[in-house]
Amino acid sequence: MIARVAEHCFWLGRYLERVESTASVLEVTGTLALDAGLPPEQVWMPVVTVFGEHARFAGLHGPAAESDGEKVQHFMTWEEQNFSSLQASVVAARENARAIREVVSLECWEVINELYLWLRSEEARTEYTQHRYGFYRHIRRAAQLGLGLFPNTMLHDAPLDFIWLGVQLERVGQTARVLDVHHHAFKRLPSKHHVVETSLWLSLLRICSGFEAFMKRNQGKVTGDAVAAFLLFEPAFPRSIRHGLESAHRLLAEFHPAGAPGLPGTETVARCNELLERLRPDALSQPDATIHGLLTQVVDGTSAVCDSLSDEFFGTARLLGSQSMAQ
Amino acid sequence: MRRMAVPGLFDDYAVAPGTYDELFDAAGTPRAPFLRILELLGARTREDFARFQSLAERALLNQGVTFSVYSDTRGTEKIFPFCLIPRVISAADWAHVERGLEQRVRALGLFLDDVYGDQRILAERPELREIVLGTKLYLPQLRHVRPVGGVRIHISGIDLIRDQQGAFRVLEDNLRTPSGVSYVMEGRIVSKRVMPEIYEQARVRQVDHYPARLAETLRAVSPEDPERSTVVVLTPGPYNSAYFEHTFLARTMGVEVVHPADLFVDDDRVFVRTTRGPRRVHVIYRRIDDAFLDPEMFRPDSLLGVRGLMRAYAAGNVALANSPGNGVADDKAVYAFVPDMIRFYLSEEPVLQQVPTYVCNRAEDRAYVLDHLEQLVVKTVDEAGGYGMLMGPQSTREAREEFRERILAEPRRYVAQPRIELSSCPTWLAERQQVAPRRVDLRPYILTGPQGPWVLPGGLSRVALREGSYVVNSSQGGGSKDTWVQREAA
Repeated sequence: MIARVAEHCFWLGRYLERVESTASVLEVTGTLALDAGLPPEQVWMPVVTVFGEHARFAGLHGPAAESDGEKVQHFMTWEEQNFSSLQASVVAARENARAIREVVSLECWEVINELYLWLRSEEARTEYTQHRYGFYRHIRRAAQLGLGLFPNTMLHDAPLDFIWLGVQLERVGQTARVLDVHHHAFKRLPSKHHVVETSLWLSLLRICSGFEAFMKRNQGKVTGDAVAAFLLFEPAFPRSIRHGLESAHRLLAEFHPAGAPGLPGTETVARCNELLERLRPDALSQPDATIHGLLTQVVDGTSAVCDSLSDEFFGTARLLGSQSMAQ
Repeated sequence: MRRMAVPGLFDDYAVAPGTYDELFDAAGTPRAPFLRILELLGARTREDFARFQSLAERALLNQGVTFSVYSDTRGTEKIFPFCLIPRVISAADWAHVERGLEQRVRALGLFLDDVYGDQRILAERPELREIVLGTKLYLPQLRHVRPVGGVRIHISGIDLIRDQQGAFRVLEDNLRTPSGVSYVMEGRIVSKRVMPEIYEQARVRQVDHYPARLAETLRAVSPEDPERSTVVVLTPGPYNSAYFEHTFLARTMGVEVVHPADLFVDDDRVFVRTTRGPRRVHVIYRRIDDAFLDPEMFRPDSLLGVRGLMRAYAAGNVALANSPGNGVADDKAVYAFVPDMIRFYLSEEPVLQQVPTYVCNRAEDRAYVLDHLEQLVVKTVDEAGGYGMLMGPQSTREAREEFRERILAEPRRYVAQPRIELSSCPTWLAERQQVAPRRVDLRPYILTGPQGPWVLPGGLSRVALREGSYVVNSSQGGGSKDTWVQREAA
């Protein structure tokens, strides 16, 4: 597989997954704001923080705007300078798909292209103004359809593996950040207020499409620790951090099977292994272990995996080519 | 005799006076072979047809069947406007066109072999010498290089027009990187999807096997076993106006699209960089101009291209389709000599007529052209896309004076032709919700392998959508139509 194509595949997967998760964060937060009885800054500020866009948002709108749900939503939906906005992510997903149009199946391409065209249409603007929930839902559905079509319309081969690697690593990072930000915010609640806290945890589960799965595993008992453990470790839940990392690890092993020293990926696989080691189910029962500490390791570890992936598989592809030629 | 009434869509259709209409005769009667198709189409109401047309456009946009507009800095993509009323060609007419195209492409291939070989024709016709060797499209470095597989014009697009009598004439040869074939196939998919019942009864020859034929043609010239050869499509990238087509062809052939930076040359062999190390490439369908293929040979300052590619080509280790240097045969001045080439190499008379051409490099022709600028179409030999032209009959005095000076300064760069009336075809005008005649041309595609040429039945019919316009180029308000070649009656 051509290294440039692999890189586009990886980013296509990442951006489409990001579209889905951004739309779901906005959709769920909008619903939460209706009945949580929380001060607005505690509802909307975490959204900006999750995407790491705090500074840019404050720079554009001033720090006070963090309590303004409309400004936050506009920033996360339409702002072109915000690389995490829905608009920017859809454009980036499409650009990556278009760059490898011959690799992406026609079915997937059409879904991504139609979403791109829709988001630029009058219809989308109207939907955004008049039916916000429907607007986010439309985007989520399109992204989910695209993600579902990848494995069902493309050859199960290297391009799909790189797309899926992008999806998994994006999802791991995203789940870790959402969980961390929420976990942090709950601690700052003025007093233990069981109803509010429960609705916050439930909204977090909904963001991760994990509400029903969690209930099945926990028979309806909602506590912060149970939700955190579920999103971190649940092996059977496709959006848990552990599940995502294991999937990524399996895909990496395809490209760099143990005992195949000639192939690139040594460092990437090692970093992925290391992170999986830290994510043992008993990780939180160690002395001094905190959820925040563990999540920070996940966020940093995932970005380290992405860095070496880019070095080993995409960035130095040129060098690899000429080196092995020289042998 | 009872006049066949065609109801509905064509009710108030009036054939444009002085032109040959593709579907109706001068009296407005459907031409006999197309009667059935016109009855079926004509039975549609305008409302029906408007709906068909918008479905078709929606399908093209969603699939991303677009071209990039260079003048637009935001990189806007547009769909190539598509008119659902097909241009139909009878089986008899097509048999003639097919024979003529095969003959022409064979002669042009022999001409290129000769120009890059012994140059017999230049010895025989000294006036050709300056015209051929003087163009920048001639690549002296490639003299005596035989392309692997022996083919030079693997893919050609020969532009045809139809004169007032309905005779097909060659307007232009495209032997470098002719584009547009993807629109033929996409247009066909849309026709079949939107009006299946009409298509079914029309007995149309299929076009969707083109990618398979193309892949076969490319593999056949590989320096290694065709079954084990790697074929790639080389594109300049997503901002190229024909990028959609590059990916379309790669997808439908099942091969990879590569950018110049994905390739490198080692020991005169070409490799593609992959996630598992380098892989040998045998055949490159390149959609990049000669000048950007290899900085080593063409432009030392260029960052584009694949360094060493031409050495690999000359060593016979990689096939390039089309071969570099073909531009010398589709030059507009060399065009004037194609009938002579057919006689010289094949000892046959040309099957297809072409447009009489005055070559300004000849003193006699030049004098005539300068005296008749008002009646002639003047063309710059090395420009394409409808640019660098003077349409004499519609020109201003200043424009004519400007061309007079340009011709006198560089006569080699100009040719002139009488303006040939293009045929017209009923065309749907969305803004008026009605059908009116618009001028069309036709670009058939010819694939040539070691076994000889094969013509795709039909081709791209381009239509000048603006009233009175002769310019069919997509960059200047042109659109396209599906071209239906009828099967022989059973």
